[in-house]
Amino acid sequence: MAASSALRATDGGRSQAVQWLIWLVTAVLMLAPALPILLQVFVDRPLYDSGWQYGFGNITALLTSPAFGRALLTTLVFAALTVVIAQAIGIFAAIVLGRTDLPGRSLIGGVLMWPLYLSHLIFAVGWLIAYGPSGLVTQFATQIAGGAPWTLYSVLGMAVVAGVSQAPLAYLYCLYGAVKSVDPALESAARTVGAGPFAVLRRVTLPLMLPSIVTSAALNLIIAVETLSIPLFLGRPAKIETISTQLYMLGVASSTPQYGLIASSSLLLIVLVAATLMLQRLILRHSHRYETVKGKGVRTAPLRLGPWRWPLALAMWAFLALGVIVPVICIVLRAFTSFLSPLIAPWHVLTLDNFRQLFGNATLVRSIGNTFFVSIAAAVIATLLAVMIALVVQRSNFRLKGSLEALAYSPRVIPGMITGIGVFYAAIVLPPMGWLRDSLWILVIAYVMAALPLGLGVIQPAVAQISADLDKAARSSGADWLAAMRRVMLPLLRAAMAGSFVLLFVSYLKSYVIAIFLMAPGLEVMGVSMLTLWTNGEVGVTAAFASLQILGIAVFLTAARILMGVKLYD
Amino acid sequence: MTDLVLTGLRKTYGDFVALDSTDLTVEQGEFLTLLGPSGCGKSTTLAAIAGLDVPSGGRITFQGRDLYNAETGLCLPPEARNFGVVFQSYALWPHMTVEKNVSMPLELRRVPAAERRARVAETLELVGLAAFARRYPGELSGGQQQRVALARAIVFKPPLLLLDEPLSNLDAQLRLQARSWLKDIQRSLGLTTIYVTHDQEEALAMSDRIVVMKQGRIVQMGRPEDIYGTPLHPFSAQFVGSANLLEAELLSVGDDGLARVRLPNGPEILGHAPLPLTGAGPVSLVLRPERIGLAPVAGPGPVNEIIVQAGAVSYLGEGYEQVLDLAGQSLRRKGERAMTEGPGRIQVAAADLLVFRKD
Repeated sequence: MAASSALRATDGGRSQAVQWLIWLVTAVLMLAPALPILLQVFVDRPLYDSGWQYGFGNITALLTSPAFGRALLTTLVFAALTVVIAQAIGIFAAIVLGRTDLPGRSLIGGVLMWPLYLSHLIFAVGWLIAYGPSGLVTQFATQIAGGAPWTLYSVLGMAVVAGVSQAPLAYLYCLYGAVKSVDPALESAARTVGAGPFAVLRRVTLPLMLPSIVTSAALNLIIAVETLSIPLFLGRPAKIETISTQLYMLGVASSTPQYGLIASSSLLLIVLVAATLMLQRLILRHSHRYETVKGKGVRTAPLRLGPWRWPLALAMWAFLALGVIVPVICIVLRAFTSFLSPLIAPWHVLTLDNFRQLFGNATLVRSIGNTFFVSIAAAVIATLLAVMIALVVQRSNFRLKGSLEALAYSPRVIPGMITGIGVFYAAIVLPPMGWLRDSLWILVIAYVMAALPLGLGVIQPAVAQISADLDKAARSSGADWLAAMRRVMLPLLRAAMAGSFVLLFVSYLKSYVIAIFLMAPGLEVMGVSMLTLWTNGEVGVTAAFASLQILGIAVFLTAARILMGVKLYD
Repeated sequence: MTDLVLTGLRKTYGDFVALDSTDLTVEQGEFLTLLGPSGCGKSTTLAAIAGLDVPSGGRITFQGRDLYNAETGLCLPPEARNFGVVFQSYALWPHMTVEKNVSMPLELRRVPAAERRARVAETLELVGLAAFARRYPGELSGGQQQRVALARAIVFKPPLLLLDEPLSNLDAQLRLQARSWLKDIQRSLGLTTIYVTHDQEEALAMSDRIVVMKQGRIVQMGRPEDIYGTPLHPFSAQFVGSANLLEAELLSVGDDGLARVRLPNGPEILGHAPLPLTGAGPVSLVLRPERIGLAPVAGPGPVNEIIVQAGAVSYLGEGYEQVLDLAGQSLRRKGERAMTEGPGRIQVAAADLLVFRKD
């Protein structure tokens, strides 16, 4: 009987070879960038120097540095404020837009999603052009109030910009994870036992949203900790440092990068992110209490707001206008003008100079081509890899599928900037990867690694929805595992693969943090170019570039919706 | 000739025993049904034979060849077993036409295109779906989908056909038709078939042999007539034909199997012990609802006359079902006419009252 316990079903020799290959590729992709960082933490000099001395010098240097302590505290305060703002907006919007008869709610929901398609970088640029110290709206307000009524160059200012830009994530999770999926019978049941509509919201709907609220809060916290452009653009002018800006200054802006400190702060960021995810798990360990069986019941009529309808709609539109629409309009306006001021009507300063400058600069033009190449290649590779990993994890008898899944999701705890650092280290330390240093493929690898969990997040639920009987039927019809996957699962996953591609492509297109540490002449991408342009004070060209990217993403998403039938976040 | 042999087959999930050391043989051309409630191990057995699940111990051989052997560590994957499987969910591939679904097993076996087309057409003809070849599964009714599933399972002429509750998703009317249709095809092809169901009527109507299972064990196997007529376990009697089960105390047993028992707080009556029974102790009595008479019955052997309290009546169409109270234990009786509510007498032949040792 001892033999029997070790016996497992086999998927056939050919299939097992493929499964091992997938595992190996994933393991190398994930570990090659992660291990050098760990190594660097305990080595006293850059990994490319000889004569390594091992020790804890880097960690003690980091922990005893007062600047680091301040940055850590600032990061935590900023991240916490951001989450509070993002969740408050998101939860409120999910309930009001998903549950009430607010006029124009689908249009409001659409505009609320805009920040999700734009990067933090573009969003920060928009807010600065509108509400920065010399921003258009700020100047208006100053004329009226006779003094600057607010300053964006503060931790609160950073948190407001980050909070508004991350609100869509909370909104999406709460809307689809809870408001729209809660069995209407649960709410009807509460009505029948005497609860009024608002009591139902408070006592049934809101508590059932808890897992969605916790999950999106954890995600937003992680994004806030990692974000670079907002603290860099809004914080640094006021000498506010976060861990991410410190990393940037140490590694990119400094002429003598302190690799030991970079690696130790990276490790600390990873620990922070991992702790957040563990906290989320801890809070949700009883999440079955919130699981609701979907009923076929008719959706209860939306809550009637009565006299509150129009005032509430007006308030929502005012918020969207100020928080989302004005910044975007300001970017476009600034792109087509030589400067913005309330004293001069924009049509007197109309110009195409910004675009001329942009297209006259070979490096900037090249960065557009690079971005498209890297985004397409990485989105294709990451989608295919995600499909293969998902099929092995969910549909095979592969011995190591548990570790495969853990490996594939490990980038979730590694902030994007640090993925870049890791890939950079790997290319230095591992001789076979040296050729990558001057190739765009180094960006592709970093992008694939960083966003693999995002792709898996689209693919895995789709695989789970396909009945296991379908591949069992293929197996008993004579197909080995590989043939069953190729002939039955892959064709059925086409829509999910298109969805994953679109999602990854857009996120790569707007990404800037991953590539920051990998920049070399010839490898420029749009996000990093914009970051450099802005820090060099080239506001007009940055705005022109940002307008182009906004246009590109809008065109691509529209095309994806029409041609591939892919609707992101729906 | 013996086709399939299961020897000491076991399946455990941690401490839970899904299938407990089961022995079974299936003859060539036989229609064997695994019958039992959910969780009895019937589907586990089928999955082990198909190779879709790895057992925890024992051995499976087919035509003398090992499919699974815990001793040697051999477990053939499903694609190497060459058995036709019909799934409860049909498991038709939604992205392929009917024709493509049926032709896939042949493609996988590298059958040349011309022969493939001919055999697919022939099989679709056999299941009466030739006109639907170009449709997609989503465009077919449940009954038609079930036929495609069967066509796909038999198109490559498997030596063994495995069916997992194939009719349970059809409505009652259709199920009745599909039953005889399926049996006809099986008989005309002479296919060795293992059929899993929890529906006793299906099992009785279609099988050459029935295996009654309960909690991972075989309770009884035999021809449908034997299972129904001479249950060898209270469970078979209860599950097939939903017999009444009564508690009683054994007083004595004769050599002819005639047993004298006493109902708790009730009368002494005579029953029949199909299995050897000795000594005294608690026993279970099995009595089919339709074997409870009202008029004195003449016939071989003694007849009990028992006083009962007649209760509520339900009209069934072909007769009545009535609840009776026998000294505190509840009985169901079926008959052409109902008793008037209140005290009354029933007649039960000793041969119809089966006595078993209590589990």
